[in-house]
Amino acid sequence: MKHILKLNVNGEDHEVLTDIHKTLLEVLREDLGLTGTKKGCDLGTCGACTVLIEGKPYLSCLTLAVAVQEKRILTIEGLAKDGDLHPLQKAFAEKGAIQCGFCTPGMILIAKAFLDEHPSPSEGEVKKAVAGNLCRCTGYAKIVEAILSVTEKI
Amino acid sequence: MSLFNVIGKREPMLDALEKATGRAKFTDDLTFPGMLFGKILRSPHPHAKILHVDLSKALKVKGVHGAICGRDIPKKKYGIVPMAKDEYALAIDKVRYIGDEVAAVVATSIEVAEEAISKIHVDYEVLPAVFDPLEAMKPGAPVIHDEVPNNVSAKIRKEFGDVEKAFFESDEIFEDDFETQPVNHAPLEPHAAIGLADHSGKVILYSSTQIPFFLRRNLATALDIPESRVRIIKPKVGGGFGQKIDLYAKDFCAAFFALKTKKPVKFVYEREEIFTSTRQRHPFKIHLKTGMKRDGTIHVQQFKAIADGGAYNSTAPLMITLACYFIMLPYRIENLLFEGCHVYTNKPVGGAMRGHGIPQVRFAVEAQLDLIAEKMGIDPFELRLKNAFHAGEPHPAKLLVQSCGFSDTLIKAAEAIGWKEKRGKLPFGRGIGLAGASFPSGVSNMSHISSGAVVKIERDASITLLTGAADIGQGAETVISQIVAEEMGVPLEDIRITAADTEITPLDPGTFGSGVTLRAGNAAKMAAQSAKEKLLEAVAEKLEVEIHQLEVKDRRIYVKDQPEKGMSFSEAIKVYQYSDRPMPIIGRGSYMPPAKEPTTLLKEDGNFSPAYSFMTQAAEVEVDTTTGKVKVLKMVAAHDCGRAINPMLVEGQLDGSVVGGMGQALYEDVLIEKGQVINPSFLDYGLPTAMEIPSITSIEVETDDPEGPFGAKESGEGTQLAPAPAIINAIYDAIGVRFKSLPVTPEKVLEALQEKKGKTY
Amino acid sequence: MRLPAFDYIEPKTLKEAAKRLASNKGAVLLAGGTDLLVNMKHRVIMPKQIIHLKALPKLQYITSGKEGLKIGALTTLHEIATSPMLKERWNIIAQAAQEVGAYAHQSMGTLGGNLCQENRCRFFNQSPFWRGVRPPCLKAGGKVCYVVPKGNKCYSTYCGDMAPALIALGAQIKIEGMEGERSLPLKKLYTHNGKKPLALKKGEILKEVFVPPASGKALYLKWRVRESLEFPIVSLALYVEKDQKDQIKKARIVFSGVGSGPVEATLAERIWKAGPLNEQTIEKVAEQAVKEISPMRTSIHSPAYKRKMAGILLKEALKQIYS
Repeated sequence: MKHILKLNVNGEDHEVLTDIHKTLLEVLREDLGLTGTKKGCDLGTCGACTVLIEGKPYLSCLTLAVAVQEKRILTIEGLAKDGDLHPLQKAFAEKGAIQCGFCTPGMILIAKAFLDEHPSPSEGEVKKAVAGNLCRCTGYAKIVEAILSVTEKI
Repeated sequence: MSLFNVIGKREPMLDALEKATGRAKFTDDLTFPGMLFGKILRSPHPHAKILHVDLSKALKVKGVHGAICGRDIPKKKYGIVPMAKDEYALAIDKVRYIGDEVAAVVATSIEVAEEAISKIHVDYEVLPAVFDPLEAMKPGAPVIHDEVPNNVSAKIRKEFGDVEKAFFESDEIFEDDFETQPVNHAPLEPHAAIGLADHSGKVILYSSTQIPFFLRRNLATALDIPESRVRIIKPKVGGGFGQKIDLYAKDFCAAFFALKTKKPVKFVYEREEIFTSTRQRHPFKIHLKTGMKRDGTIHVQQFKAIADGGAYNSTAPLMITLACYFIMLPYRIENLLFEGCHVYTNKPVGGAMRGHGIPQVRFAVEAQLDLIAEKMGIDPFELRLKNAFHAGEPHPAKLLVQSCGFSDTLIKAAEAIGWKEKRGKLPFGRGIGLAGASFPSGVSNMSHISSGAVVKIERDASITLLTGAADIGQGAETVISQIVAEEMGVPLEDIRITAADTEITPLDPGTFGSGVTLRAGNAAKMAAQSAKEKLLEAVAEKLEVEIHQLEVKDRRIYVKDQPEKGMSFSEAIKVYQYSDRPMPIIGRGSYMPPAKEPTTLLKEDGNFSPAYSFMTQAAEVEVDTTTGKVKVLKMVAAHDCGRAINPMLVEGQLDGSVVGGMGQALYEDVLIEKGQVINPSFLDYGLPTAMEIPSITSIEVETDDPEGPFGAKESGEGTQLAPAPAIINAIYDAIGVRFKSLPVTPEKVLEALQEKKGKTY
Repeated sequence: MRLPAFDYIEPKTLKEAAKRLASNKGAVLLAGGTDLLVNMKHRVIMPKQIIHLKALPKLQYITSGKEGLKIGALTTLHEIATSPMLKERWNIIAQAAQEVGAYAHQSMGTLGGNLCQENRCRFFNQSPFWRGVRPPCLKAGGKVCYVVPKGNKCYSTYCGDMAPALIALGAQIKIEGMEGERSLPLKKLYTHNGKKPLALKKGEILKEVFVPPASGKALYLKWRVRESLEFPIVSLALYVEKDQKDQIKKARIVFSGVGSGPVEATLAERIWKAGPLNEQTIEKVAEQAVKEISPMRTSIHSPAYKRKMAGILLKEALKQIYS
């Protein structure tokens, strides 16, 4: 059954006529064209689809779009403010934390949620925070390094 | 001061910010008006005859635009290795593993396609299946492909030196059996394809592929149309590791339906399909016999290797050949006999995976070397150093090794892991180990071997580079651009690159065999040289000097001895134009590695790679003796990549390889019961998470290879050969248990520890 | 994998939710969704209606007083994992929450959802294609159990992290239903029937978890291969409380991953209580406990291995709790 969903994504209000049984991942990618959020496993076990809802990390493949209406949804496309990249985006690029880049949007967003809660974490805490976000290219080393480099700046 | 301006710099990947902001487009991110969505029906049987496929109910589902099965497609087999073609895009006669493709549907939505797939009725005659390669080789075993009655689809027997005599001459002989498990590449991006067709019968395919030009060839074959009617475009690819070199049903079906319906058609695989129906690293059973001289010389080795290939060949002949040839490096082994075969079973299909047949044999050799060292009372490090191969030495298999930093990697890795202080000296439960390896920088046989590039100097002095190289996340586009920037004497930001579109960019064998930097890098360098020369000609004329007197650096062309005499790059272009020379300035490069052609390693010896990289990995582990869990604390990866064009990206390759190799050593296993993968998910398949990673020290050993562009060799695949044996050797040092099969799970460690305890007390 | 179609409602009150749940046979409750949506994508649960509870803000709280601790069913695992109060006074609860899935699962998942998660089995938690290789299993609506093909019982396994910790603390739960509210010990929530693992009646909704004051020591240990994402191969919670004479008053050992519900090893508890605390007793307690669990071949790990690890883990836990 189609339904009009009211979604606030990256600070903008959207009305989307779509199926009620669609996941947030599907609505973001298919109805809003926000393909920065990736589908890696579709079963909540890779983290590639991570978005922030009210600042908290959510697996958008296991979130019903209808259930997060009127919440503030942040995807990777909304992270840079007025064209200014978020420090994490810069750090990931500069430190070589991005290879194929498929895990990157989810990885950066979960790191953001985590750093917002823990501004100066230990290396172990960073690893734990991103452990649900799988990466096959980097061996995580430079990802952890990039996240820690941002904490130093803060 | 560095000789170079752009080479050797830690440049971020050119597309890093696109990826960091979500703008980078992978295949599944693309969408076209009126696009249809496809789904594939797969076999629930490991082995069965297809009696009949009834598509009628599926075709009646509202929104369905087409349904096909084996009988609807050209009866044209394809395969990545031309001599080993054995696959149809959709099964025609029978299905050979659980997950084999039977039929496909396209519809206006994925839901409709899924519904339609469920309405296809297939009559099967279930056949006896065989799952163990040893069983499959026995007379009377079920025959999986009629053309191969004994199920042995590729075979190699190679002898160098005189093996029988050499064993007779040996002072000590060691014999061991080893076994490795199937490993899934697990790229984070699921495989996807989008087909577009026009009314002339031409098809454009966007695909998550590592080799656009192989895909073009295979797709044309499978569709039975000329290659000129197929155009492959590679968007961003989310990792491949070898899994994306093959043509898959999703490619064929997207193209086939696009041609049929004249609508855009998208197929995307589910994660489960990637586990069951793409490719995996071949499990091996290996018998290894080594004859040693008393002084620690490896005198002779004899291998018997059986690769469990699953239902189809994919790269079978090449894979088994590589396994053979890379026993010959990085050590000097005068006498060697290798007997290897690739056996069909009713299981998921083996294919190229980072290292391609070599990680398996490397595990056997490196584990046995430690056993030998212990029995003979020689330090494992010294044993390796003594037998290390050196540049310029004659090679029994006629490999031409022009640069070799193996000894250096050994020494540096040993130093970094603390070999002298720690080996055999750490408390029970802690240990260190190391292992060596070598890998080709691209295989110059049995495939396309040439790479082309075009470099254009534009009116605004910017530079456009066209390359067929396929960046799948390793940073190939960045590295090749750095090579061009260096050659042209401009900063990296002046280079614009267009890559991997078979209709725009020149031929290239793609990301395959770790040859991109060397092959495509050399082609791009040649193209840049050629373009630059045209420009310099005009400048030389104007300055009244000879071309060879000129130098280009920092966007300036000047006379070497009189740096003040010169002009900027953009002035030079004006000079070029005012001298009535034709624009645009285009340089072309076509590079082929120097090799005998055609050389099939299966039949004759000879050099088959332009350059060989060398590496040593060292590991420190901690074994929880109560639970059996192994934690890798530290890994050292010392790698001779000739020259690091971009050290940050080389480190990235080393880091990723280390963790992947650790996955094979300790965590990952595609578990199969009666032909069914029982853990086809990230939840049950043990891809390491950030919690598992060790601290990683990367050491780049530079040897400046004469063939590589600016001296560069590979750094992508070779690095995954030695982590697993290094870890296994470290476990031995920690607890005195020698594991001969992978992965070494906590369960196996615990069992071994308990057994050991039982014996001791 | 797309979700099957369903109706969706967001009740304004718990009463209304209970009513809708009771009146619609095909209705299910949605909280965090990390368990339900996976099962729906796998088509092992095909609800006609989804009743989303997250709009009920009153069920999201952690309060502590003299009478004990109260946690609303919709409190997220992340809130539990990071609550300074829990970390200080009820650390085992925070600790168990930290062990669930990974960060995002914890920020989505709720306590109620975690306690009410479906049992798991390697023949059940699979796609329709995977399951299509053989006729449906008992739990997915078929007639056979492939874990134990003889007999008519489903052996699916409870794999939650929160339940053992809370049961060890003697937690009670409050349930809202059509006939009002009722309370029962958390451990009674679990039927140990793989096919229908929860003892909730039609229309009943878990509302609150209550933990009585606990002055003893508690510990949660989870065994898995990777340190994130995975469900427990086996996990256990211990609780021990002594009286003024240093005699053990309460001793609880509760396992997860080794039965169709959380398994309390009551006979082992008795041996532990009887003491004295030494290596020998620890051995005996472990030996007895592994007899009381019933791991089956419901995951990629063998029952023998689970049993072995249960014993090892318990011995470790007993040592840790006294150190």
